[in-house]
Amino acid sequence: MEVFLQTLVAGVLKGGLYALIGLGMTLIMGVMGIINLAHGQFMMVAMYITYALFHFFGLDPYTTLIISMPSLFILGVLIQKYLLNPLMKVESILPENQVLMTVGIAMVLTEIARFIFSSNYLSVRTSYSSSAFYLGGISFSVALTVAFGFACFLTLSLFWFLIKTDLGRSIRAVSQDSEAAELMGIDSGRIKVITMGIGAGLVAAAGTLLLPIYYLFPDIGGPFTRKAFIITILGGLGSTVGAIFGGLTLGLAESFGATYIGMDFEDLVGLVIFLLVLLFIPGGFRRFTKV
Amino acid sequence: MRITAFGLLAIVSSLVISIGLGWAAEGPIKVGVVLPLTGEQAKFGEIEKNSLVMGLEEINKAGGVNGRQIELLIEDDTGKPDVGRSAVEKLISQDNVVALTGGYSSSVTYAVCAVAQQHKTPFLVSTGSADKITEQGWNFVFRIAPPVSEYPKALNSFLSEVVKPQSVAILYENTLFGQSGAKEFAEQCEKAGMKILIKEGYEAGAVDFKPLLIKVKAAKPDFVYMVSYVMDAALLMRQSKELNFNPKMFVGGGAGFTLPEFAKNAGAAAEYVFSADLWSPQLPYPGAKDYFENYKKRYGGPTEYHGAEAYGCIYVVADALKRAKELTPVAVRDALATTDLMTAFGPVKFVSYGKKKQQNALPTYLVQWQKGILETVWPKNVATKPYVYPVPEWASR
Repeated sequence: MEVFLQTLVAGVLKGGLYALIGLGMTLIMGVMGIINLAHGQFMMVAMYITYALFHFFGLDPYTTLIISMPSLFILGVLIQKYLLNPLMKVESILPENQVLMTVGIAMVLTEIARFIFSSNYLSVRTSYSSSAFYLGGISFSVALTVAFGFACFLTLSLFWFLIKTDLGRSIRAVSQDSEAAELMGIDSGRIKVITMGIGAGLVAAAGTLLLPIYYLFPDIGGPFTRKAFIITILGGLGSTVGAIFGGLTLGLAESFGATYIGMDFEDLVGLVIFLLVLLFIPGGFRRFTKV
Repeated sequence: MRITAFGLLAIVSSLVISIGLGWAAEGPIKVGVVLPLTGEQAKFGEIEKNSLVMGLEEINKAGGVNGRQIELLIEDDTGKPDVGRSAVEKLISQDNVVALTGGYSSSVTYAVCAVAQQHKTPFLVSTGSADKITEQGWNFVFRIAPPVSEYPKALNSFLSEVVKPQSVAILYENTLFGQSGAKEFAEQCEKAGMKILIKEGYEAGAVDFKPLLIKVKAAKPDFVYMVSYVMDAALLMRQSKELNFNPKMFVGGGAGFTLPEFAKNAGAAAEYVFSADLWSPQLPYPGAKDYFENYKKRYGGPTEYHGAEAYGCIYVVADALKRAKELTPVAVRDALATTDLMTAFGPVKFVSYGKKKQQNALPTYLVQWQKGILETVWPKNVATKPYVYPVPEWASR
C-alpha cells in the first residue's frame, strides 16, 4: 500500500509539471495550428536564465520566475513576429514550413546555449532541493510540491485569463475560427504573437520550477519537446483542459509503469498510452470537455 | 599504338603515385577521432577531446613522429550509433586517416568498430567499455580501457574482505554499457554467494527515480550497485537521501560517479558514495600528476579517468606511428599490436585472454567521496585516505 501511495504521489506531482509544459504547447497549437517543436528549447532557455540569476546574483530560483517568465514571453513574441508570421505571408510556403522553422529555432537556441555555457551539466542547489517532508510515511519532495502548487496557480490564472478577459476571449475566438474572428474585428496576427508569448512564458515557468530538482545542459530541450507533444496529443490538439488531463495521465502512467512494470519501460508506457489514445479516442481527452 | 598507350598509362600512373607520395611525405599524419561533442554525453566528449588535444600538442612540440606532425580530425558522433558510423566512414574514405581513436559510449563505439574493421583501419578505443567490443575477434580493434565487467575488481575484494554483504540491488541505465556492466556484476555477485534482490534498468535522463528507489528500499538490500551516467547518478543519490534510504553502502560502477560534476550536482548526497575507478592522479605512473595539473591549469577544471584514457591513447597512437614500417592502416595496426608503452594512464600492452582480443589489462580501484574529494580507498597500497565504513545513516549526518 505504501509503495502504491508513494507512486501515486510521485505521479501526480510530476503530472502537475507536465501539465504546465503541455499547456503552452496546446495553446500555441490551438491558435496557430502548428506544433511548436522549439517548446522544450524555450524551457531550456528559461532554465539557463534561472541558473544565471541564481549563480551570479544569488536569487532564489522561485524568485527568478518574475524574470524568466517575462523574458520568455518577449522571446516568444519576437520569434512569432519576426520569424513565424512573415512565413505565413508567403503564399508558396506551406503552413508546415512554420513547423520546420520551429525546428530550426530549436537548434539555434541549443547551440547558442552551448556557446555561452558549454556542454557542462549545471544544477541549482538550494537548501530545499533534496529535502522532503513526510505524511503518513509517504515522502513529498519539498521542491516538487512547491512546483506543483505553482503549476496549479498558473493554470488557474490562465483559465481566468482565457475566460474572463477580453484578450483571453479573443485568443479563444481565434483558436476556434480564425477567419470568423477576423471578421469580428480581431487582429489575429497580434493574437498569434501574444499567444506565442504566453505559451513560451508558461513553459518558462515549468523550466524554472523544475530546475531545483533536475539539472541542465544545452540538449535538455529535446526530450521535453517530445513530452509536450505527447501531452498535447493526449489532451486533444488545442484543448487546455485536455492538456491538464494529458499531463496528469502521462505523469501517472510513467510513475506506475516505473514501479509495477519496470523503470526501463517508463517512456514506453507513456508512448503506449499515446498510441492507444490515438487509436481509440482520436480527439484525445478533448471529447470530454468544451474549453 | 598499343605500346604508346601503355607508355602513357605508365607515365600518368607514376606521376599520380609520385604526387600521392609527395603529398604523403609533406603533410601531417592524419588520425581520426570520434567523440560525442554535442548531445547528452557532450561533457565526456569534451574532457576526452581536451586531453587528446593536450597530448597531441606535447607530442608535436617534441618533434612529432619522426619529424612529421600529427593532425587530429575530430568528428562529432552526437552520441548516436548511426551518426558515429557515417562520421567514421567519412574519416576513412575521404580523409584517408591511418588510425582512429576515441569512442565514448559503448553503443556508438560498437558500431564504429564494425566500420573500422570492415575498412581495415586500426581503431584504438579510449572508453567504450561494453565487454563485447573486444570479444568479436576484430583484429583492427584495440582497447586501452578495461572492459566494464572488470571495473568492480577492486570492489569485489573490498566486499569480500570488509563488507561481507548478503544481498545486493543492481540498477543500471538501459544501454549497451549499463546492461553489460549490470550483467557481469550480477554474475560475479552470484558466484560470491550474494542474493540479487533487484536488478533493474531505467531510461537515462528520467526526472523521477522514486518509483524505482521505493521498490529497492522495500527490498532492503545490503548495498546498491549502480551503473549510471553523471546526472542520473546525481539524481539517484539525491532522491535516495530524500527517501531516507540507508543501505550499508552505495556503490557506483565508474562512469558518472567519478566525475566532479557528480559531487557538485548531488551535493551532500554524494558524501561517502563509493565507486569503481580506473585512474587517479596519485597513481605511480609517470606523467599522471603532470597531466592532471596541466589539464587543470589549461581548462580550468579537474579531469578524471575518461580524460586520462584519451591522453594515454594519443601517446599510444604516436608510439605506433613511430614504429610502423610504413604509414598505412595495416602497418599501423601491426605496430599497435606490439605496443608496450608506459603512459600517464598506466602501462599499455594489448593481450588476449578469455574471449577478449587486443585488450589492455589494468588494475582498477575503489574510490570514495569524502568531503567533496574523490579519495582512493582500496586496494590499501595505493589508498590516499582510509575508507569510511560503515557509512553513517542520512539522518545522523
